[in-house]
Amino acid sequence: METFALSEPVLLVLLSLAEQPRHGYSILKDVESMSGGRGLLSTGTLYGALQRLLDQGWIERVEEDNPARDRRTYRLTSRGRRNLQMEIERMRHLTKVAALRIARKEA
Amino acid sequence: MITVYCWLLCLYPGSYRGEFGEEMTSVFRDARSALSPALAAKISFYRREFCGLLSGALCAHFDRLFGSAIPFRRFNMQSQFRFPLFTVLLMLVIFAGLVLTIAEASSVAGDTLGLAWRSLVSILVFMLLIMCSTAAVVCGILYRLRRSGVHRLENVNS
Repeated sequence: METFALSEPVLLVLLSLAEQPRHGYSILKDVESMSGGRGLLSTGTLYGALQRLLDQGWIERVEEDNPARDRRTYRLTSRGRRNLQMEIERMRHLTKVAALRIARKEA
Repeated sequence: MITVYCWLLCLYPGSYRGEFGEEMTSVFRDARSALSPALAAKISFYRREFCGLLSGALCAHFDRLFGSAIPFRRFNMQSQFRFPLFTVLLMLVIFAGLVLTIAEASSVAGDTLGLAWRSLVSILVFMLLIMCSTAAVVCGILYRLRRSGVHRLENVNS
């Protein structure tokens, strides 16, 4: 099993959906607050990412009784959640190595 | 501004527009209404939105045209991407050769060639400017695509 680093915007979109299903604007606001205002996504970038994530089966649309075409909700699939966990694991390993190296250098 | 946004959405393929168009417009409207009144914030917002739209449209067209047939779809600008510097070099050599030939011809003949020389040089300079600005726009779009990082998703095997 091989993993590659995701970019920060895509990672933030996935993290935003990991907490709860969200619609587009809610994802934008959540990404902004999560990244402390650094991760500002445009709608073009957001929907490009959402389309690709839908194609890859990482997220899906939530079926609603009265779906509004201008406000659809997305959620992580089990595949998306698994891949996100792998990515977080990779980052955790990286930060552990980084902390060790910094500590070694300071000692 | 919503009108301009809707107009720019026409750059996307019809199927994409049908699927996400209304949603994107609605999100843009919400984001715009929550915008800070500061001029800098507005400029930054509109620049981000319109650059995002242009790069997104380019991406969507590329994806629609080539699908998964091409492995570097969505302008995969990872380590294997190299700008063809040789092309630029070749163009410069051709341009220099052309200029030298014309200069030589104008030194042999009289004023008629001088006039032709000046007009040709101005045309060539104009063409060079157009090429440079096009290259700058393309590089800008590719940079935005790289920053979005969406292309990396297809490299994940799970």
